[in-house]
Amino acid sequence: MRYKILTVDDSKTVRIIVRKAFKGYDCDILEAGNGVEGLALAAKESPDLILLDVTMPVMDGVEMLTKLKSDPALKAIPVMMLTAEGGRDHVRNIAKIGVREQKSIASPCAATPWIFQGMCFSPSWI
Amino acid sequence: MPAIEQISETLIRNNITRAVGDVFRTMLGRELALRAAAQSAPSWPPCQPAAGPIDTGPHIVGSVGFIGSVNGLLYLYLDLPFARVCTGHMLGMTDGELEEAGDEVINDAIGEITNMTVGSFKNGLCDAGFPCTLTIPSILRGSSFSIEPISSVVRHTYAFETAGHRVVTDILMKIGD
Repeated sequence: MRYKILTVDDSKTVRIIVRKAFKGYDCDILEAGNGVEGLALAAKESPDLILLDVTMPVMDGVEMLTKLKSDPALKAIPVMMLTAEGGRDHVRNIAKIGVREQKSIASPCAATPWIFQGMCFSPSWI
Repeated sequence: MPAIEQISETLIRNNITRAVGDVFRTMLGRELALRAAAQSAPSWPPCQPAAGPIDTGPHIVGSVGFIGSVNGLLYLYLDLPFARVCTGHMLGMTDGELEEAGDEVINDAIGEITNMTVGSFKNGLCDAGFPCTLTIPSILRGSSFSIEPISSVVRHTYAFETAGHRVVTDILMKIGD
């Protein structure tokens, strides 16, 4: 099964890094540059996972996440916040909206094997 | 309200060493070693080893701020050739591809490295009881310049080294209003 991963980030550099990080895995990478594009692509493509930045123009990650979780058609899509903002209070606020996992990591590369393993071997986790 | 003196130099040094180390290890596969620390502005050129020829060539400086109970700016200095190496490695681009893509791609990459570094640094401050959030990155380029803050700011400068390249972090902080 070929997975679809949607990366939502205003930084083209981060989107390139994500694409490069998942190169060896059996998945398609979809890209959006802000929350508005992200919501549209999520509705159209029904990705298996969304990697979501927080600080973006037009619509930031928190607003996009809130809208995702309030849409019956989209709320079941698992979301991982990929952001440099990782203080405890921030994590707590995001968790209230409905994110089960947040990775404040130096790089998507570090999380890639962990993400893909979760997807392949524990579909119930997803 | 916290006083800037409650943020010890040890806390700052440990946080920045961890942040820079994690980012360069994960993103670039490089181990950095702390070589020098100062509470003054970095000299120019900032990225010089203790011995050997002095590189007066162009440098690139990423900066990201943090605001909250502590306000500050962190500048990350790299010499331009090393910045190109880092960018090529991160994005999987050859020298030719970097040349074709232009300065913007290097600016973006160094901006992201700086964002990740400052994010990790300030998350350490948050977890130590000084909540703050990040501002957007910006990039400076030049061959001879200095950054002069206002007098109420505390300044810490750290020089790291990896395989003959020096990476300097210049941290300016004051208590939040």
